[in-house]
Order: sequence, then C-alpha cells, then structure tokens
Amino acid sequence: MARESAIPRFGHKPQVAFFDFACCEGCQLSVLQLEERLLEILEHVDVVTWREAMTEQSSEYDIAFCEGSITTEEDVERIKDIRAEAAVLVTLGSCASTSCHNELKNQWSMDEVLDVVYGDDAGQIHTIASRPISAVVEVDYQTFGCPVSLPEFVKVVSAILTGQSYEPPNEPVCVECKRNDYLCVYEKGEVCLGPVTRCGCDAICTGWGDACQGCRGLMDSANIGAMLKALTREEAHSIMRTVIDRHQLTEGEIAAKLRIYNNWPEFTLEEAETDDD
Amino acid sequence: MPTEVVMTSKAVDRFVTRLIEEGPVMGPRERRKQPGFAKFDWIESADELMLQYTTTTVPPKKAFFPPRQPLFEFELTVPPKITPLEEATPFTLVGVHTCDLAGLNMLDDAYAKEPAEAVWPAARARARIIGVDCMPDEYCFCFDTCAGREGCDLFFTPIEHGYLVEVITEAGEDMLRLSDVSRAREDDLNDARNFAAEKGQRITAGIRSSAGDFADILEEGTFEDLWREIAERCYSCGSCNTTCPTCFCFDINDEFDLGLTAGRRVRTWDSCQLQEFALVAGGHNFRRIRWQRVRHRWHRKFLYLYREFDHPYCTGCGRCSRACTADINIVDVSNEIIERARGSEQS
Repeated sequence: MARESAIPRFGHKPQVAFFDFACCEGCQLSVLQLEERLLEILEHVDVVTWREAMTEQSSEYDIAFCEGSITTEEDVERIKDIRAEAAVLVTLGSCASTSCHNELKNQWSMDEVLDVVYGDDAGQIHTIASRPISAVVEVDYQTFGCPVSLPEFVKVVSAILTGQSYEPPNEPVCVECKRNDYLCVYEKGEVCLGPVTRCGCDAICTGWGDACQGCRGLMDSANIGAMLKALTREEAHSIMRTVIDRHQLTEGEIAAKLRIYNNWPEFTLEEAETDDD
Repeated sequence: MPTEVVMTSKAVDRFVTRLIEEGPVMGPRERRKQPGFAKFDWIESADELMLQYTTTTVPPKKAFFPPRQPLFEFELTVPPKITPLEEATPFTLVGVHTCDLAGLNMLDDAYAKEPAEAVWPAARARARIIGVDCMPDEYCFCFDTCAGREGCDLFFTPIEHGYLVEVITEAGEDMLRLSDVSRAREDDLNDARNFAAEKGQRITAGIRSSAGDFADILEEGTFEDLWREIAERCYSCGSCNTTCPTCFCFDINDEFDLGLTAGRRVRTWDSCQLQEFALVAGGHNFRRIRWQRVRHRWHRKFLYLYREFDHPYCTGCGRCSRACTADINIVDVSNEIIERARGSEQS
C-alpha cells in the first residue's frame, strides 16, 4: 500500500507563498515552466500567495520561497516579517542566495549609485549595499542559478516535503560537464567559469555550447587564485596555450569576469584563498 | 582462420552495419557541434563511426558504468518494493584504443577484488570489444600499454586500403562471419608494422623512472612543498578523475519522484579531488586540505595500487592532463617529483 502523502512536519497540507525582492522575477517564471511537474507539487501543497501567478493573497503560510536580493531598508524589514511567519524559508535563485549581479552596485558608494539612477528623486529611496537574504535572516534551504536551476528546485521541494535537509552541491560545474560527456569549453579555446562555479545546473549552458558565466556563484573554497595563474601562465601545453594566447586576459579582466555574479562579499584576486587550510 | 586478415574501408562499413543489425553498437562518434572531436556513443549507422580519432574526453568505461547509473527503483510500501534495473542486452564496443583496453582490464581487477563490485562484471560479460590502433598526441604517454591487445576480441590497425585485423579471441573469430575479409599480404603486414613503429616514435612524453622506483620515491619522500605548489594552481574540479579510465570511485544517492512514494537509487562517478569526497559522518574530513588531495591522487595511481596490483593505475592516455584547465600535467609533475628525489639523493 502506498503511503498517504500527508506531510508529518506540518500536520496539514502546507501553504506556500512566493515573494520577490530586487530581481527580474525570472526565477518565479522558471518555476511556472515546470508545467506538469508543478501540478505534481500542487498535490502536496497549497499555494496561497504568488503575485506572478495568481490574484489571491494570504498573510498566513508555512513555506516561503523568496526571490531577489535585499537592497533597501524596507527590504530588510519585509524579509524579517516573512521569516517570522514562515516555518520554512527558501531562497529562490542566485539573487536571493548570493546577491547575484545586484551586488555590482556595491562597487560604488550608495550616494553615487542613487545619484546616477534616480538623480533628483534619490531622497525617496533608502538603498543599501545589495546582499543575499542569508545576510539578514536565517535561511533553511537555498537554491541557486540565474534563473534558478529547476532540477535543484525540485530536489529542494522534495527535501522539504520529506523532512530532509538539502546541502547545495559543493562541486564545480566541471563535474556535471564530465558526467554529461560534454567537450570542455577550454578545449574549444574559450574561457569558462565552470572550474570555480557551484554545480547543480546539470551544466546546462555548456551543454548548449556556451561557456559557464558563473551564475550559481562560487563553490565553497573555490580556488579563484588558480584561475589567475591558469590564464596568465607563460608555459603551457597546447590546449591552455591556445586559450591563453587567444584571450590574453589581464588580471583585471579575469577579476571582472568573476565579479559579474560574485561580489558578495567583495573579493580581490590577490587576497584569493589559494589553499583551504 | 588466419590470425591476421584485411578488411577494406568499405568492408568495415558493411561489417559495422551488420553489427548494428545484430545489436547495439557503441563507438567513437564525431561530436555533432564540434567536428574533429569524438565521444563514445551509441552508433546508429556505420557512417557515424569515427574509427580514427584522438582521445575522447570520457573513456569507454562509460559503456559498462555510465556516469549516472540507476541501480534499482523503489516504492515506499510496507514492505518496500525494490525493482532491480539490470540491462541484459548484449552489445559491441568498437574502436577502443590500447590505453583504454588497459583501463578496462585494470577496472576488471579492481572491481573483482573482494568485496567484489556487483554490477561491472555482468556489464562486461555482455560486450564484445574491437580495439583500434591510434596516433598519439602531445598529451599521450602510453609506454607499455601502447602495444596491448588484451581485453579485445578483434584489433584493427590502419593500413593503406583499410585495416589489418588481428583475431584475438574466439568471439572475435565468430564476429568475422559478418565481414568480408581477405588474406593479409606481406605489404599489409608491413603497413601495420610501420604504423606501430611510427606510433612508438611519436610518443615523446614519459615518466622518467620505472614504475617500481617511482612507487618507492613516493613512499619515501614527502614532497609537501611540491604538493602545496600544485595545490595553489589546482581548482579541485575533479576532471582528472572524471576523465580517467582507471578511476573507479562512485557516490550513491536516493532520488525521490515528486509523488514522494517512489524513486530510485543512483550511483554517479565521484572524485577524490572534490572537497567533500573524504567528508565522513560527524563532520571530519580526512583530506580537507587541497594539497592532501593532490598528493592522494599520485599516491593512489602510482603507489597504493601499484603495490596492490603490481602496475601503476595509469594507462598513459593523458586525459587528466588534457582535462586540467589549470594545465597540471601528470607527466610533468611526476618527473618533477622524480627530479627532486634524485636531487636530494645527490646533495
């Protein structure tokens, strides 16, 4: 006999809410693109708030999926309120989990940023340095990707509903490239951020012939100093020789590539951790 | 039946077509979006087979142990229902280089050691294997595996008008009933000998020590400075392992369907270079530090498994060096170790 799919953790069919902070809301759109699989998830949960998908709203919910980065003082208060209501808080996609490219603004002072974007109306905006949700409140589950990696989203939903933890993979995209038997981007003469980027996307970009841009953020102990060494080496065998000669990247250009998705906290290549002891 | 026959290129096409009619065939197929690069894949028609190719990214062990392999399906009934997922169809693996034949033989030995691995031998028993000779590139250093024939049923060497075919086993001889072959003439044998000689000459890279001496060097020295230098460049991405024909470690996970009442147990290729490989219950990681993992790889390939099986667990295919985007080259590093050891002996 198959077991009932009641979720013991909640004692009832859990209520789910989606919220967005600073972001393009593309992660929510991606979740909608689960289509039939979304219907399977809806067998187990009731969605009570999802501005992008429905009109109804509720102030009561068990599970909150939060998209976007925290970039204003109002955001800080709002995410604290959500945290107080939700039994389970999940960050949806990289803006929420790593601050993604919202943190590009952190390179300037907030006054400069306000002035450039809002000019005379700057006084109405209480902007702060962009940060991931985990920098403000405790987070129970994290999903990454720009937009969110759907295989990971499904895994996290399954983990929540079965009362298990979910540890994001602490391995680089190279692992998934090899498991899929894709030709290495470097072997094609191009530069790829796969070796330092947290996998979990099933190497979707390299599978379609692109390079990894690092949207899921750096894995723990990512050796970004190694990237500087690899791309500026004087002596190299033919595959890396071709890459180095073709691109001739400077230290600043390498850092800029890494910064597109990884600037919280800020880093410099000189300070990069080269060994994890 | 002579042990050496000739198959023209057209005859090879007909032979492969008949093999495909008999059952699934895996072999090197040109990557559709990256011409010139081959990958091992199921071949639908003879013209897809790219018999002369440079080393693939992933070795042909994937034919027997796919990178992601469901082992069984489960249903959470009481008692739980378990349905094994066993593939039973015989198949033919075509176009295996000598280094990769050696790799398959090494995995046979490793997986046969008690407690024996349960899935590999059955997969191996389903397959006939056709080897093919190749020309090395700058990453290859296939030393004593370069002339190997063990592990295949037929072996093809390119000659002027096709291939010289060596019949290695009875299964190989049986396969020849599907082909049109002619007797090998002296010219054909000469062609093949020249090919082998040129292959030998083209292998310029090599580890400058006997396997036994290298094992002793690794055992006696610490080389921590060198491991730390290499670790500064190493991403710990695991590609040296996930492309290796002799790496045999795997991870096992249960995956649930969204119905939450059923799923499957899946094993995937793992890598000792990944930070969490040696993480155990309680949170201790006995190779947490990057240089310890780098050292472990050399110890594993050239010391521990050498002691256990009497040869290094390396075929000289060069895949790890090609795959390393930090350009950490297995031959360069090995020779650096040997040089440092000999240098310290003299001083």
